[in-house]
Amino acid sequence: MKKLFYKLCAALLIGAFIIFVSNIIYTKYFFKNDLVLLDAKMLMQLDSLQYNSDVLYFAESSNGTTANSDTCLLSISQMIDTLSPLKINAVEHGAIHAKTYLNLIKHINSNALVKTLVVTLNARSFGSPWINSKLETNLSQANVMYESMPAIFKRIKLTFNAFDNKSVQMRDYINEQNWSKSKINVPEEFPYKNVRQWDNAMAYGTYLLPNGDWDVPKISLACHYIKTYAFTIDTLNNPRIKDFDEIVTVAKQKNLKLIFHLLAENVQYADSLVGKELHHIMQENKQLLMDRYSRKGAIVVNSFELVNGKDFIDQNWTTEHYNQNGRWILAKNVFRYIK
Amino acid sequence: MLFNSLHFLIFFPIVTLLYYLLKQKYRWILLFIASTYFYSAFFLPYILILYFIIIIDYVCGILIENSKNKTKLFWLLYSIISNIGLLFYFKYYNFFIDVFVEYLPNVKHLDIILPIGLSFHTFQSLSYTIEVYKGKQKAEKHIGYFANYVLFFPQMVAGPIERYDCLGKELRSKHVFNFKNISNGLRLILYGLFVKMCIADNLAPLVNEFYSNPTQYYSSSAWIALIAFSIQIYADFYGYSTIAVGAARLLGINLMDNFNQPYFATSFYQFWQRWHISLTTWFRNYVFFPMGGSYVNAFRWIINVLLVFALSGFWHGANYTFIIWGFLHGLFYLIEKGFSNFIPVFIAKNKIFLTFGAIATFTLVTFIWVFFRAENFDKALLVIKQCYTYTFEAKKDLLINIQTITMLAVFIVFEIVIYKSRFDLFFQNQKTVIRWFVYIILAFCLLLFSGIQSYQFIYFQF
Repeated sequence: MKKLFYKLCAALLIGAFIIFVSNIIYTKYFFKNDLVLLDAKMLMQLDSLQYNSDVLYFAESSNGTTANSDTCLLSISQMIDTLSPLKINAVEHGAIHAKTYLNLIKHINSNALVKTLVVTLNARSFGSPWINSKLETNLSQANVMYESMPAIFKRIKLTFNAFDNKSVQMRDYINEQNWSKSKINVPEEFPYKNVRQWDNAMAYGTYLLPNGDWDVPKISLACHYIKTYAFTIDTLNNPRIKDFDEIVTVAKQKNLKLIFHLLAENVQYADSLVGKELHHIMQENKQLLMDRYSRKGAIVVNSFELVNGKDFIDQNWTTEHYNQNGRWILAKNVFRYIK
Repeated sequence: MLFNSLHFLIFFPIVTLLYYLLKQKYRWILLFIASTYFYSAFFLPYILILYFIIIIDYVCGILIENSKNKTKLFWLLYSIISNIGLLFYFKYYNFFIDVFVEYLPNVKHLDIILPIGLSFHTFQSLSYTIEVYKGKQKAEKHIGYFANYVLFFPQMVAGPIERYDCLGKELRSKHVFNFKNISNGLRLILYGLFVKMCIADNLAPLVNEFYSNPTQYYSSSAWIALIAFSIQIYADFYGYSTIAVGAARLLGINLMDNFNQPYFATSFYQFWQRWHISLTTWFRNYVFFPMGGSYVNAFRWIINVLLVFALSGFWHGANYTFIIWGFLHGLFYLIEKGFSNFIPVFIAKNKIFLTFGAIATFTLVTFIWVFFRAENFDKALLVIKQCYTYTFEAKKDLLINIQTITMLAVFIVFEIVIYKSRFDLFFQNQKTVIRWFVYIILAFCLLLFSGIQSYQFIYFQF
């Protein structure tokens, strides 16, 4: 037994030594390659920007997406930068959400120049389709790379599947379950009990063409609006709520001024395509987010209904991509709170 | 739960520790709970399907043993129909709806997730009732032991497909803590993880990239992708099986080897004696022999062989491509059998001839894997066409990085070194310095050179 104990100790020591050496080798030679491979380059972005920016603007594709017809190709953060005497830079990547922002904000050092953070608060990201998006596995992998721990442990977490690694099939299944279980919270009596019922009703010929055929593109878009926005934020279990709450805490700890930019959604289309019930649900979620984070001490910039429907780039899908008019409106709105 | 997950690396030592702390008579309870938890980690509701299989086959086993003639046959058929019916519902229903769409226009697809490893569970459980029917196996009276035979977590999701006379006996035997079992088990787990994570997971992105759009690549790249998949699927399944055998070994339980270096096979006949051995023997014992085996006329034998191979292909997945894959293996097997009658023994045993045989077998097997990997028949043809399309157009090259090449080299060296043995058995007899040198090499490989993106075991989907 004593011999076994010594053997075990020796094995543990050798194991620790291997991990220690591996960490040195990995950090020096492979870590950056893996950041690129996993599309986790924002960490490098942040490392260079935190020392030469007064304000960091954390955003997904809403910041930099431009329309083909735009003559001004500035992103929202660049527009704010032109308005402000402060130096404003963006830490951005398409399709990311608050979990990524949180992990990155944790990397801001105490000696960094940055004193203010603007973080996009995307109401759509609180819904099931985004939380269980098929992109989530890749995002979770990138998020592991953003965590604050020795590089070799990040690699171990990734290679040993210690992240949200559900299959696309499983994510679709969860979405389907959520749509079937979720309740529609509207003040008046409503014929549909859940999103699935509402979506089905909309799918069967709500919109007809003059010749009597189904207007399929319009129906698809209306259904998509329902599945995307017809949710009530559960403040106890919604993972995005937890992330944004923690962002507030971390910003306070790091003594950073925190501004949440509640992004514009195409409320006009939601109303005209689907109806006042969806509009009501969206308003409720907006109010909940504004109240919650104002109460927690963050500044919440409300741009929710600021952009006109025609200024959204994607007219046949739900995105937060705005043309130059939309971007300027948002930039000016945020700028008021930065000065 | 995946073997290559931190979840398993925490779960398994706890189970092992508790297993040796408990008295033998209580261990089945621990194994049952652990196996249930292991499977539930994938998708909780589907454990009920396994419980259903357990109850049906447990009851059928007893009823078969206590019945005679037609009643006995009735209970066997009941077991077969229940198991195959379940498999059909979850795995093949949508396929048949597609096939008979013209005759069933109003029948809709089922929107369900295929339970992981269902084909393995049903086949393993079926082998038990068939053996009881044949009178070669006594019906198990203790439902706990029978449940563990179906559920035993190291091999429950991707085999080896064990027979009750082996695994049942192993589960009932008293296993005392044995340092040799522990060290051999750990060796196998280490090597299995290396094979899966450093070989299969490094090749997977390369293969996926090619198969997502084969026409973008030069024909040389197409061949690289074909060979890469050939190695990937072997490493993936062999890695899993090695970990499974190792994990069971830690608990003192011996599982059969599912692989015996199949790519060193000098013929298709040999290949099938070395690849997925537990499935090959299942089809041989429960499909091929009942059809008459080799004791039928030549024409019938040819049909039987082709049918069994095609069926084994279909076992893998509900797609024409799998049937074609199995059928082609059957066809080459028959061609080889036909030719072998005309080759004199002294030539057949000649080393040059055997080497040629090994190269030819590997090449053909690699080629046939296209039908296994491609999502559909058209894609498979496209990939094959791409292998023979020589063009001056600018296309992409499939680049294998130095890390993957190094890992492949390490893997090949290990496979040659342990030729005709097994990793644990070979290294248990080596000097301590050599053993630890190998462990350290493998540990560094796992930490630094495993595929950064992990991929689910390919055979889990079957």
